[in-house]
Amino acid sequence: MAFSHPWVLWLLPLAILPLVLQRSHAKSYSWVNMLPKDPLSDLIGLILKILAVFTLLFIILGLAAPHTLTQKVERTGIGAQIALVLDRSASMDDPFSGSNDMSGNTTVGETKSVAAARLITDFVKSRKQDMFGMITFSNSAMYVLPLSENKKAVIAAVAATSGNALFQTNIGSGLTSSAGLFDKVPDSGSRAVILLSDGAGRVDADTQQKIKDWFDRLHISLYWIVLRQPGGLSIFNENYKPQENQPLPPEIELYEFFQTLKTPFKAYEAEDPKSLQSAMNDINEREKKAIKYLEKIPGRDYSNICFAIAAFMIGLLLGVKYLEVKTWH
Amino acid sequence: MVENIKAFSYHIGWRNRGRHPGRHASTQRGMGMEFRGHTTLLSYPDPRRIDIRQTIRDPLEQVYVRLFNQKSATPVYVICDLSGSMNFGAKTRKIKLAAEIAESVAHSASQNHDPFGFIGFDEVVREDWISTSSFKSHRAIAMAESLKDYHPPAVNCGGIADVYQYLPARERSLVFLISDFHMPNVMLEAALSNLLRHHIVPVVLWDSAEYRNLPEFGLTNVSDAETGEKRTLFLRKELRDKIIESFESRREEIYQLFMRFDMPPFFVEGEFDADMLTEYFHQFVAA
Repeated sequence: MAFSHPWVLWLLPLAILPLVLQRSHAKSYSWVNMLPKDPLSDLIGLILKILAVFTLLFIILGLAAPHTLTQKVERTGIGAQIALVLDRSASMDDPFSGSNDMSGNTTVGETKSVAAARLITDFVKSRKQDMFGMITFSNSAMYVLPLSENKKAVIAAVAATSGNALFQTNIGSGLTSSAGLFDKVPDSGSRAVILLSDGAGRVDADTQQKIKDWFDRLHISLYWIVLRQPGGLSIFNENYKPQENQPLPPEIELYEFFQTLKTPFKAYEAEDPKSLQSAMNDINEREKKAIKYLEKIPGRDYSNICFAIAAFMIGLLLGVKYLEVKTWH
Repeated sequence: MVENIKAFSYHIGWRNRGRHPGRHASTQRGMGMEFRGHTTLLSYPDPRRIDIRQTIRDPLEQVYVRLFNQKSATPVYVICDLSGSMNFGAKTRKIKLAAEIAESVAHSASQNHDPFGFIGFDEVVREDWISTSSFKSHRAIAMAESLKDYHPPAVNCGGIADVYQYLPARERSLVFLISDFHMPNVMLEAALSNLLRHHIVPVVLWDSAEYRNLPEFGLTNVSDAETGEKRTLFLRKELRDKIIESFESRREEIYQLFMRFDMPPFFVEGEFDADMLTEYFHQFVAA
């Protein structure tokens, strides 16, 4: 309990005025001793004085505006902060690798970027309580949208990813930028980066360390959706034998690096829109865990209650005034 | 002014010693009608009063004269309470009623050729409300007239104890003691003890608004006219009955108290009727 204007409380002594000051409108009576003792009258007199005291008391209290302090209530809810990191390299405009029609022939189907945009739009629409941010990258990261609850902005941003692009894939830059999205935003308890790329690029050791530190510090989990190029290497291929005297292919290297992250990591490989969708669905399910957060509840203002009580008492006093004898002397 | 004042007739049941001729039985020898006895011409050398029958009957052959008592004037006083409680009154304030009574007494005294004096008291005897005994009642009546507009402050009536000092010390007087007697019995008894030399007529002024004409129902605050004591009253039938009961027992109490001093009280409530005072003298004072 606190007061907005505590100095008004200095007026509280005024409340005993009705006890100190005598009522001036008292009728003069020749000899009060002649009046027999009447407990009921004395009681009413006392109650009226107390009523007057409390009326003043509550008015002064009301002027001092008492209120309770801000309370923090722990709430649970669903809601994640998700940064979308989309590959904008030119290869994204290629069709999916294994899109076969019913007859088994390879067909030119939906391009990767269009499928990705479509599915991400659906994903964004299905997640009502999430905050989305967006980074695209090709040869370097492009800051598109900070973490925001505005779904329209996200969908517009996703739609804007289509277009001409460059040929490089700078994943490291994209990831560090995405971590930067979370930097000044309060933690909702569920943070994820969805990295959507085809193929991979090499990430130098410094950037790797940076990514590892930031993801750990900001509690960001990573979902990596690899859109496999036709004939490309599968990161889940356990039979792959690294060639001697050759560096590891970038996909494998990146996959191994991501597995060393301290925060949760999950990789998906998508060869067609369907598998991409299942990957998105899986992420959808995973990021539905309940999150706990503290909600601030503003303090309650009691001055109106004080005034209401005072008004009620004044009403009572006025009622008594109505009962007052007017036809004497 | 004087024409409106209604007089009453009064008499006294005792002999006064006033030298001034008047209407009342006296112990004073003089040119009266009341035969008192004989004495010798030598001791009362008034040849006009020689009683020939008594003179020739005396074997010692002394000359006798007849002695008579004259009728003398008796000082009449009004002692009036000017305390705060006298300011009370629904139609007429008690103090105004007291002034009317004082005027009536003054007028009656003037008709009877008696000297009239007025003494007012509240906490003390009020020197500014004193009119010394005089055969000319005009000054006293003027004072009573101004008393009608006097609003007593909140003071008690303690001066009643000293009022005897302002009355003639040797001459018995007829004193109308006008008050509501809203004072402790002890105070009243002490004062009356000092006034026993005189013939006191206590005029008890009460107002029906004090007890009988209370409002039917409601809340009110009252403050004592003298002490300022405050009370809240929730007037209802029960309380009104209790108040009336309280006043009736007070009336009985005052009556008993005055009767112990052999001073029958004369109650006035709301209105003064001079005829009632005449009646009072017929009833209580032997002619």
